[in-house]
Amino acid sequence: MQEELFTKIVDMDEEGSIKLAKEYLESGGNPQKLLEVCRNAMGVIGDKFEKGEYFLSELILGGEIFGSIMEFTLPHIKEGESEKLGKIVLGTVKDDIHNIGKDIFKAFVEAAGFEVIDIGVDVPEEEFVKQVKEHKPDIIGMSCLITAGISSMKRTVEAIKAAGITDAKIIIGGGRVDEEVRQLAGADAWADDAAKGVRLCKELVGVKG
Amino acid sequence: MAKSAQELAKERLARIEAAINLQEPDRVPVWGFGGDIVPAYSGYTNYDMCYDEEKTLKASEKFMRDFPFDSSMAGITGLDGRVFCMAFAEYDDLSPLMTFITGPIHDILGDKYTRFPGREIDKTAPAQFIGGTFMEPDEYDQLIEDPVKFIAETVLPRACRNLETPRQAMATWVRLGMEIARSGAFMAEFGKMNAELGYPPFPMGWGYAPLDIIGDFLRGVSNVVLDIRRYPDKVKKATEAITEWMIKYALAYTKMGTKYAMFPLHLNEYLSPKLYNEFYWPYLKKVILALHEVGVKSIVFFEGRHEQHLETILELPKGWGAAYFEKTDVVKAKKLLQGHTCVMGGIPITLIAGGTPAEIDKFVKDLLEQVKPGGGFILAPGVAAAPADTPLENITALIEAVEKYG
Repeated sequence: MQEELFTKIVDMDEEGSIKLAKEYLESGGNPQKLLEVCRNAMGVIGDKFEKGEYFLSELILGGEIFGSIMEFTLPHIKEGESEKLGKIVLGTVKDDIHNIGKDIFKAFVEAAGFEVIDIGVDVPEEEFVKQVKEHKPDIIGMSCLITAGISSMKRTVEAIKAAGITDAKIIIGGGRVDEEVRQLAGADAWADDAAKGVRLCKELVGVKG
Repeated sequence: MAKSAQELAKERLARIEAAINLQEPDRVPVWGFGGDIVPAYSGYTNYDMCYDEEKTLKASEKFMRDFPFDSSMAGITGLDGRVFCMAFAEYDDLSPLMTFITGPIHDILGDKYTRFPGREIDKTAPAQFIGGTFMEPDEYDQLIEDPVKFIAETVLPRACRNLETPRQAMATWVRLGMEIARSGAFMAEFGKMNAELGYPPFPMGWGYAPLDIIGDFLRGVSNVVLDIRRYPDKVKKATEAITEWMIKYALAYTKMGTKYAMFPLHLNEYLSPKLYNEFYWPYLKKVILALHEVGVKSIVFFEGRHEQHLETILELPKGWGAAYFEKTDVVKAKKLLQGHTCVMGGIPITLIAGGTPAEIDKFVKDLLEQVKPGGGFILAPGVAAAPADTPLENITALIEAVEKYG
């Protein structure tokens, strides 16, 4: 089953993969193993995206398939059974109300094994600081689509540093983000696609691969 | 002696037109940008740019006077309203008027597609298009059957708070007509200001990729890419049905004397070459070709990365118009499209927002060395909106660099 399911997910067979995963669980399969197969498949989808074999529509569909399978798989997995790579507080910065990039990244970074606290869109600097203080994440993820977000990212990073938060790494992401914006904002890493973002988050917490 | 506004406008227009016609202009034209920097430069907010015409005029004039690009993107804020153009597509005298959702129009319609400063979001935030899902998958047959009827009678009442009932709709459309008539005076004043500053009149119409109508206004972007896999035949038939009306809308502009049509694209970057060539490009191409047949040149903004689809542009007839790129490598694009398509783009807006004048000078020099020879190139920002705190010396550096190396 595992290999077949893995291939079906990677090949974007939505109906087939969900059916197979359901059947596996219903016949007494190991949910933990199922989760692992799905995660590996999502990793490969991300790799294919970075290689230019897959595009945003495949990332969206991959996230959708993963989410559908998790819906009936996660209730079978006990809290604490699956180890997390780290915790991320994730939000779209102030004055930007777009969520699509944030949501694609969220699906993939969760699949990679991170715990994500999604604090929404148009998040003011002080709200970022408050949430970070409360959740103590390993990584702070900021998303933006429009260029107004560039100024907001800079102000949000400044607010986080001014609040004395120094142990969380900051990654910025979005269609209009690049090295120039990373320097301007004072972030630790940048990504303009979800697959790269996941790879960098792993690097930021010192996980290989 | 300083050039008169008229001379300046003539020179700028000749420059842009030469590039679009694949000739070598006197220097490489540079397309301007707008964005949050325009109100910020005058101490105004984005709210002012959406709801205060006097301030919009003042701020635009000041920005356009102090930062003289060859064309300007500063001005009136309007977000994509193409779904309304489709609803009015039977009426050539009306459909072009529905192209943009301005602040007052947003208030009149109560549309759920956009968010405006001082309304749903802060006065400092720019107006934003967010789209949404206003159609269910089992409704594709209705869309295919009669797109105008389905959009006008089923989608719009869901997408606009003030069109929910026929009674509300009566009042809303009358108010909308009054607003369009009222804002005409302001548009005229804005045009006059442009002419006084030496900006050329650029009679521009608009087009849209038919599949983007479904993605932006009916099903939502994430849903439409899933629909392509789940109901491919229906998506294709619906796109085909919309295409006919899209062509009618795009051609309606020519009655106003337009010579160009701008296309902002959205889903191009999302799709693999296989899906792009099946669901997106054939229909977009039909619209471009219909305009080409009547002598209108298209300027197509290929959002995001378009590398994977570059070759398809060569399927269009030589001299069809300009391909405006955001993140696609324009050097590579120019090489491929030389002598066939005018290439636009090349400046990352982040370089203007975060770089230094020296970096900008070097960047423009290096880039133009590669793309200037042979003409057919317009230097333009990948995204024509600069953040509020963009260093002013960087904007000047860009303009000076083009003067030097263009």
